[in-house]
Amino acid sequence: MSELSLVQAVNAALKRAMSEDASVLVLGEDVGINGGVFRATDGLFNIFGEQRVLDTPLAEASIAGVSIGLATQGFRPVAEIQFTGFAYVCIDQILNHASRLRARTRGRLSCPMVLRSPAGGGIKAVEHHSESPEAMFVHIPGIKVVMPSSPARAYGLLLSAIRDPDPVVFLEPTRLYRAAREDVSDDGAGMPLGQCVTLRPGRDVTIVSWGAMIREALEAAEQLAADNIEAEIIDVATLKPLDSATILNSVGRTGRLIVVHEAPMSCGFGAEIAARVAGHAITSLLAPIERVTGYDTMMPYPRTEAHYMPSVAAILAGVQRTMAYT
Amino acid sequence: MKIFVLPDLGEGLADAEIVSWHVSEGDHVVIDQPLLAVETEKAVVEIPSPQAGHIGKLLTKAGERVKVGAPLLEFDEGTHAESGAVVGQLAEPSAATRRTLMVPSPSASTPPSIIRTSPAVRARARELGVDLSRVMASGPDNTITLADLQAAVFQSGAAQASQTLRGARRTMATNMARAWREVVHATVQDYADIEAWAQDENVTSRLVRGLITGCQTEPALNASFDLSSLSLRENPTINLGLAIDSPEGLFVPVLRDVARGTPLDWRRQIDEFKRGIQDRSLAPADLRGATISLSNFGSIAGRYASLIVMPPQVAILGVGRIVAHAVRASDGIALHRTLPLSLSFDHRAVTGGMAARFLRAVIADLETAV
Amino acid sequence: MASVADGNSMHRVLDVDGKVVGNFPKFASDPDELLRLYRILVLTRTFDTKAIALQRTGQLGTYASSLGQEAVSVGAAAAMQPDDVFLPSFREHGGQLWRGATLNELFLYWGGDERGNDFAGPRGDFPNCATVGSHPPHAVGVALAFRLRGEQRASVCIFGDGATSKGDFAEALNMAGVWQVPAVFVINSNGWAISVPRARQSAAATLAQKAVAAGIPGEQVDGNDVIAVRSVTERALTRARQGHGPSLIEAVTYRLCDHTTSDDASRYRDDAEVSRHWPAEPLVRLRNFLVSARHWDKDKEEALLHECNGAVEQAAKEYLATPPQPIAANFDYTYAATPAELAEQREAAIAIAHGAA
Repeated sequence: MSELSLVQAVNAALKRAMSEDASVLVLGEDVGINGGVFRATDGLFNIFGEQRVLDTPLAEASIAGVSIGLATQGFRPVAEIQFTGFAYVCIDQILNHASRLRARTRGRLSCPMVLRSPAGGGIKAVEHHSESPEAMFVHIPGIKVVMPSSPARAYGLLLSAIRDPDPVVFLEPTRLYRAAREDVSDDGAGMPLGQCVTLRPGRDVTIVSWGAMIREALEAAEQLAADNIEAEIIDVATLKPLDSATILNSVGRTGRLIVVHEAPMSCGFGAEIAARVAGHAITSLLAPIERVTGYDTMMPYPRTEAHYMPSVAAILAGVQRTMAYT
Repeated sequence: MKIFVLPDLGEGLADAEIVSWHVSEGDHVVIDQPLLAVETEKAVVEIPSPQAGHIGKLLTKAGERVKVGAPLLEFDEGTHAESGAVVGQLAEPSAATRRTLMVPSPSASTPPSIIRTSPAVRARARELGVDLSRVMASGPDNTITLADLQAAVFQSGAAQASQTLRGARRTMATNMARAWREVVHATVQDYADIEAWAQDENVTSRLVRGLITGCQTEPALNASFDLSSLSLRENPTINLGLAIDSPEGLFVPVLRDVARGTPLDWRRQIDEFKRGIQDRSLAPADLRGATISLSNFGSIAGRYASLIVMPPQVAILGVGRIVAHAVRASDGIALHRTLPLSLSFDHRAVTGGMAARFLRAVIADLETAV
Repeated sequence: MASVADGNSMHRVLDVDGKVVGNFPKFASDPDELLRLYRILVLTRTFDTKAIALQRTGQLGTYASSLGQEAVSVGAAAAMQPDDVFLPSFREHGGQLWRGATLNELFLYWGGDERGNDFAGPRGDFPNCATVGSHPPHAVGVALAFRLRGEQRASVCIFGDGATSKGDFAEALNMAGVWQVPAVFVINSNGWAISVPRARQSAAATLAQKAVAAGIPGEQVDGNDVIAVRSVTERALTRARQGHGPSLIEAVTYRLCDHTTSDDASRYRDDAEVSRHWPAEPLVRLRNFLVSARHWDKDKEEALLHECNGAVEQAAKEYLATPPQPIAANFDYTYAATPAELAEQREAAIAIAHGAA
């Protein structure tokens, strides 16, 4: 056990996976000697060498495309896209090829690859470096989409993603990379994909989120508790496939749902969760479903960024709106 | 259609066997493009296309022997519908789909009043049998919250379901509402001094006899009024509707042609009605056709009342509780037993004078000893 | 190694009339090898004709003919070893047949059935790539795998002249050059990308010289000369297996057919131009050589035509008699293990399909 930040947990998981399975490769820009711009692959080049940690030319679409080729030949490539702002060009390779290779060859070829990339804002980064593209990936059939919210979960989820036989998009909240440290057991235990995690039980309202926003959600729950409102906090963790059962069960008990995400509101993943709850738990709802999200604008430049990011206050206001229907 | 025939292959050959077609119907071909392979004695040769165009129809099959000059294929001379697509099949619109269906957008008129509440509250209200239209909303946007529902249930006492009226009570509700809407009610009240009666005198029999006397004196009070024709029809018989209260509600069975019967007849008929009400064997016919009604509410309590006239009747006599009344006697004041009477009538058909004269006759009959 | 930018002429062994004009490669000395090549060329064209006919009668989906371009994929595939990996675009039917894909599998694919991609023979080959130019990076990844494991295998990736304008193509060549992977990229340079002629696709004098930007060898070959195509590809593959990295081969041919059966090339292309290219077509050239070298004759030609027609007819019949898979199959192969949320949809789809039946 050691205290690790989220990015250190990613690093530990990569090292563990590469130690256990010689078919695991890391590739991307600056992942070799430099250890990745966020140091996610720090030290791997020294341990495993240039045959397993490959610096690529600057070509994100081909990083994904080459990963596909490698994956069909028995390797398990873990490709790093430096920022999700650069991952959009990968969507063609992921959507048109990686996601459907198994289905269109009736299982003859398949694509066990991981595409990992830092996502989300609140880091006062230059433009294009604060993207939240998870909904776009979730909309692709045939892949899995994971977004951890803590160092320990990042470790376990990444191991499971690497071991998964299907393509996984692994989005790492940049804002959490170094934000907090916690005990992470480097035991090689994978955290199962496809399961939500209830981080805090509650009776009055269900708050669902993922990634960096989990911090704000937990903070909001603390403040609500002082007002005798118990919020149940659910970390989605795996956006695709979604563990609807945990969310539906929670809303069945609380009758109130708030979904929180940084990504813009329209067609954000919160809309999918809202639709599933409306479809399967409508008679449990005491109040309308609230989505506390980013706006349908670009992420503003750093000076105004704080006003875009969903805040604890915004979450509290959302909760209050639902509690008015008591 | 331009026909292409097997050309002269030279060397005196008269025919050839088709070995293989290289093109299909519908293909676009160009000059010199090989169309088919034929086998001659010397070789397998390709026959090139004499023109550019579309293959319309292949007229020979592989394996057939054809003579020089025999038709091989037809070129399609017509214009070709172009698919205008790189892949797949795009459907053309059919005549049916060409009609566009315009759904008019809903006008901005005020929607009917709706109950705003959440699905959970709605479900709970259904369980409790609570009519949400009666629940006060205190939530945002005039929404009924769970607390509102619970408060409404608390206020109404035990979680009792509100009843939908059925049977006699339902009938009474609708009939009374209609009567109130149509009839112009007026009431005249007085009392009869029944000091002369024997102690065991049957009140109902005396009242029926009194009513008969009244109707005989003023037949207009036993008439039927029809508003649509503004007509009043005096009824040949007196069919007396007798109001009877029961746990199931108000019943008004009809004693037909009471003038013809005796007090014994009346009593027997009334007993039958009471049994019929109790065991619910009363026939609907028993409740129809009253020409005048009598309500002895005084058997329970009450003195004077303004009762409801049930059209097409024009009168109802209400009888209150027997009460001791101070009257002028020969030697001062005496207390006599008196019977309060309230005659409610439909002033569209009956005048005050008629009513008063009717009542005077009833009272006169009641005040006799026997 | 001299590249096309140095002004190397196009590699050619047989001229248009089938006369030997270039260095005769070793395999060509074996008549049986040449006959193998010729048979597959004829089989490809027979299949091609039948596929068009089936499409015209509504029994096959949109189909991309390989008319006149058969030698490119057949020649390239013939240079490969069985455990190499073939990555076609969508016009390499001949190459697929050479590699062991069956006529039935090809009919299934073009008929709209995924089982057509489940090759019983070449288990490692990629299926067609309809998103033009997006598969060169896959070829790089496959070749990289071979290099990392020290295997003597290679990937061969074929695409058209239009694909060379794509970013993915440039990225792939670049990466292949940086990593010196055993990948051979073959351009089926047939002069047309649907209606866009070669002159408007790129200002480069040759497409082969795009290799210069990637730092890899590039050369042109007469794409209608199957012997030359195979020869050049063999040399490129030898270089690749010896660790000398990737190559780009531009096989110059001509698209004698429409882009697909949904295209009408007469809208944008002069018939006279097409006519002018017919004499150079690949089958006649090789046949003429074979006949003049006394390896072939009329009886053999007829027999081959009968045999190919028979095989194609039989395969077409089998395909037409094959019922489509149930909708459940689409769900069963989306993931290795179907997640619960998808299993629900699977049940719903099955229920609706049964209701409609």
